[in-house]
Amino acid sequence: MWETVAQAVINGLLIGGIYALVSIGVTLIFGVVKIVNFAQGEFVMIGMYISFFLANQFGVDPLVSLVVTMPVLFVIGVLVQHFLIRRVLGPNDMPQIFLTFALSLLLLNLALMLFSANYRTVHTSYSDEAFHLGGLYIPVAKLIAFVVAMILSGALWVFLHTTDLGKAMRAAAQNRDVATLMGINPNRVFCVALGIALALAGAAGSLLMPFYSAYPFVGQVFVLMAFVAVVLGTLGNVIGALVASLMMGIAESLGIQYIGADSGLIVVFAMLLLTLAFKPTGLGGKAR
Amino acid sequence: MGLIRTRNALWIAAGAVVLIALPLVVTSSFAISIFIRILLFAFIGVAWNLMGGYAKQLSLGHAAYFGLGAYTSTILQIDFGISPWIGMIAGGVVAMLASLPIGWLCFRLRGPYFTIATIATAQALMLIFLKFRDFAWGAEGTTIPNLGNAPLMMQFEAKAAYYYVALGLLAVGLVITWLIERSWMGYYLVAIGEDEDAAEAIGVNAPKIKRDIYMISSFLTALAGTFYTQYIYFIDPATAFSFNISIEAALVSIVGGIGTLWGPVIGTVLLETTSTLLQSWLGNSIAGVQLTVYSLILMAVILWRPTGLMGMMREAWQRYVSRKPARA
Repeated sequence: MWETVAQAVINGLLIGGIYALVSIGVTLIFGVVKIVNFAQGEFVMIGMYISFFLANQFGVDPLVSLVVTMPVLFVIGVLVQHFLIRRVLGPNDMPQIFLTFALSLLLLNLALMLFSANYRTVHTSYSDEAFHLGGLYIPVAKLIAFVVAMILSGALWVFLHTTDLGKAMRAAAQNRDVATLMGINPNRVFCVALGIALALAGAAGSLLMPFYSAYPFVGQVFVLMAFVAVVLGTLGNVIGALVASLMMGIAESLGIQYIGADSGLIVVFAMLLLTLAFKPTGLGGKAR
Repeated sequence: MGLIRTRNALWIAAGAVVLIALPLVVTSSFAISIFIRILLFAFIGVAWNLMGGYAKQLSLGHAAYFGLGAYTSTILQIDFGISPWIGMIAGGVVAMLASLPIGWLCFRLRGPYFTIATIATAQALMLIFLKFRDFAWGAEGTTIPNLGNAPLMMQFEAKAAYYYVALGLLAVGLVITWLIERSWMGYYLVAIGEDEDAAEAIGVNAPKIKRDIYMISSFLTALAGTFYTQYIYFIDPATAFSFNISIEAALVSIVGGIGTLWGPVIGTVLLETTSTLLQSWLGNSIAGVQLTVYSLILMAVILWRPTGLMGMMREAWQRYVSRKPARA
């Protein structure tokens, strides 16, 4: 009995690490630039396709392709901020919401046109490997993904708290006007925030590839999770998003185990609705 | 002022005559089906625009009400033999009631997170209808029994009849918008859309106004759901709660001119015409072309003309007459 529960918790925790990479990106952009990036899931998709093609054409291991996807997505993030998002920053919600929403639609449908709706998978030597620990089963690919995700999240935390640029980002998140007076260039900080957030999404894509299929709509699964996790973990709070993502992974996995295979999303929505009903500011307290 | 109003009334009367005569002149069934699509999506856009446009509550979950309207009338028709004309109103009422708890939850968030919450509620409703087969046929959906020409059951042999029903719906939506736009409620909605905190500070009861406009908007969207199901003789959760409905409702309004009476109509004409041309040019062979083009148009509008086509036309008109337009 306890083994089924423990197994479900482990499965959830491992995938929760991937959710965390996506949610941390969403919450970082929200905290610093004050917009919600509806296209975050599509950048996970792009990361997956890059890893897929590198594996397929050149036999590059998806984990090795991290060193390609992360810089590529970082550059895309800087470009998206500089040429698109910068132009709609202001008091008006509509352009901000629908610009990134349009970007999401565009990337998704371009992928559909270019790559068709087929599922693409990469088979690695460790895709089917697993540790057996007591009665528990721990797939190697998912464990690696989880560990790398935690390392990246920790590195981000260290970056935000110890480097000048990281401190500048936190300052801009707290008060953009005062930060500007202190000599912080907001557009530069925003570009870095977008770059880091998208690099994390790209990393999520590469880490997923050994055990998950790439297809044009794949980002939607992750972005929905990320949005819920970001509300649950208090908007703009990196640690909150991390903890909430892991919780959501576990809740989803328990839902699949005890309610039914297709009920993962129902659990997620239920969590969102319960959060909104009882603690709309998230677990971390005050939002806005 | 009086002269301008008479001239506007003349324009509208002329437009109405053209629209009523259209199916008599253009009899191609392909053309009429495109007109029906335009009227239907313009109507959904008008319903969305009441809340999304005037009050800037940017919902991407209006498929929830489209689906509830579609399912209510279909269940009433198949299980109880009740005419979809009555079912349509019943669906509207169901949607209106559903908007109360949904709004209660979603309005706790503002801006983008309101939008996300509305997406989630529509998706959740779709999952419910997929999962519970006992009362709604599950994922396979069901076909509507074909009764031949049965106007009392909202079934017609002539495609033109559907055209007139859709035209009637759009007219109702436009009249309601027009009445709201010039009432105290219209001003409250715009005030909330501009700055909700400031509106509340000067005594606008924002939660109540938002709740009321959400109810009206949901009611109208549900009517479209019933009509669409009767028109295509089929219902399943994926069509009735399709995310594309939510997207198109917002898209036509933004492209046409958010928060304007005619914006959703012009937006639909542009987007649907583009989509028809693309399809006749490329065929249906490549998936994703239509939404790729829609998203490019949406991005272009947001980056260069956030007031949409209505704004562009108004500026052009202003340059043309070189005096302030009479409309406030």
